[in-house]
Amino acid sequence: MSVTKPTRPNRWPRFTSPLRSTAVTARLGRVLGICFAICFVTGLLSHYQYHPWSWLPEPVSPVWLYRVTQGVHVATGTATIPLLLVKLWSVYPNLFRWPPVRSTKHAVERFSVFVLVASSLLQLFTGFLNTLAWYPWSWNFVPVHRFLAYVVIGSVLLHIAIKLPDIKYGLSVKVADGDVLTEIPWSENPDAHSNAGPVPPPRPAGISRRGLLIAGGAGIGTVIITTIGQTVTPLEPLGLLANRDARKGPQGVPVNKTAEAADVIRAAMSPHWQLHVVGPTPYVLSLSEVLALAGHEKHLPITCVEGWSVGAQWRGVTLLDVVTRAGGDSNSRVRLTSLEQGGAYRTSYVEGPQVSHALLATHLNGERLDIDHGYPLRLISPNRAGVLNTKWLSRIEVL
Amino acid sequence: MSRTRYALGSAGIALIAFGAFRLVTQVPFGDLIILVGWLIGIVIVHDGVLSPAVAAGGWLVTRAVAPRARRYAQGALIVGALVAVIAIPLILRRGSQPPSKALLLSNYGANFTVLLAVIAAMSLAAYAVHVASERRRVPPPTERNNAE
Repeated sequence: MSVTKPTRPNRWPRFTSPLRSTAVTARLGRVLGICFAICFVTGLLSHYQYHPWSWLPEPVSPVWLYRVTQGVHVATGTATIPLLLVKLWSVYPNLFRWPPVRSTKHAVERFSVFVLVASSLLQLFTGFLNTLAWYPWSWNFVPVHRFLAYVVIGSVLLHIAIKLPDIKYGLSVKVADGDVLTEIPWSENPDAHSNAGPVPPPRPAGISRRGLLIAGGAGIGTVIITTIGQTVTPLEPLGLLANRDARKGPQGVPVNKTAEAADVIRAAMSPHWQLHVVGPTPYVLSLSEVLALAGHEKHLPITCVEGWSVGAQWRGVTLLDVVTRAGGDSNSRVRLTSLEQGGAYRTSYVEGPQVSHALLATHLNGERLDIDHGYPLRLISPNRAGVLNTKWLSRIEVL
Repeated sequence: MSRTRYALGSAGIALIAFGAFRLVTQVPFGDLIILVGWLIGIVIVHDGVLSPAVAAGGWLVTRAVAPRARRYAQGALIVGALVAVIAIPLILRRGSQPPSKALLLSNYGANFTVLLAVIAAMSLAAYAVHVASERRRVPPPTERNNAE
């Protein structure tokens, strides 16, 4: 009886690149997992900006808190797109494993990988397009982005649980020595060097695995450096791929919604504009009365949920002065309403420590507010998401 | 299965279930169908179009570029491709927004070209250093004697 050496099944497509290895995948996956965790946590913090619990209002200090967390959220999410693509490249042969389904357990595992790949690709891709104000889909971005995030992070945890032995192997072996990953599981592949004893796999003729990781890091690093300038102002000159160019906005600050889009130009420019203050002792202020009170200066960043932020010099009336005169105090809850007729951010609420630190701004960077910045009067408060700093104010209610 | 794996897996399944439940209850049915279509579509585009294209590109490089230069060509292509993923949507969306949003104003086509030129130049420089050091490592015998 002759013993024949088992040979690797010859099917198409056949993956032979020695670059792919669990040693590479586990290293990419480790960074990818950290990035997803950062995005998830900063995303929850951003959601909290919009829907805080009344007993735990947003702090006012540090004033740049949301600037940092949301800048990190968008920068990490953007950088994670190329990282995810490299990670998926490293395991592409797994798609062609044969037979496609070996058992019920295997079917469930493969479905969980589909959920992970689909949800993470879609989450990152649509999140990036949101920063470009590009919505080629019909659903409402915010709830889908919010709840899909739970599917993504849950799939990541489930994936780690399923792959833990592979992760342990991949991280414990030297990157050049890890078994080659092909369409044949290593346990069934007689060519896998794990089966041939402690022999390192063949050295690639071209780029090495280490070189691949370095090139991937260089690509992702280039993306970070050329986009981060929209948050980290000193790096603005390197922002070749930054989507916002803050200095080109009116008065050196970008806007998210223009006066034209909000359809408020006529009402905001009207000489008969008045600020209605409602409370135990209601009153009305004319534009000249507001301007006469506008003596307070604050340097505060304005931070958009889309990731850009910029520090600016604001001048105006303190919200607390207006609230106090209406019979409220620093413990009041205040509702501010815009001249806008509709829109999700027509009204906003100020509560907790923000009441004492918010400014009703008339001036920005030494000039009267531009119409797109909320002329004649807008809210600006520390550590507060951009769109919650209501523009074109018409009404303030002490609740 | 270890306790760690059970704990991670259960937490994962619970989070997926929560997210899926909230999506189903918060998103209108019509949008939900479109969302599922996008989820399937993005995997098809990635696995069926993008990945084969990358594999074909990699295969071409191994055929077209000599082994000594290959790693530098591959490195440049990896960096360039990853930058392209972010640059291409910017190029497509340039100038689509009102000017006061200060959004998508730059000439991303030109900026992307600059980045590609820098990547190519750095890869060429690394290749040149590699070639030069290879020559230095195997000098003619007489030179080696002189150096010692």
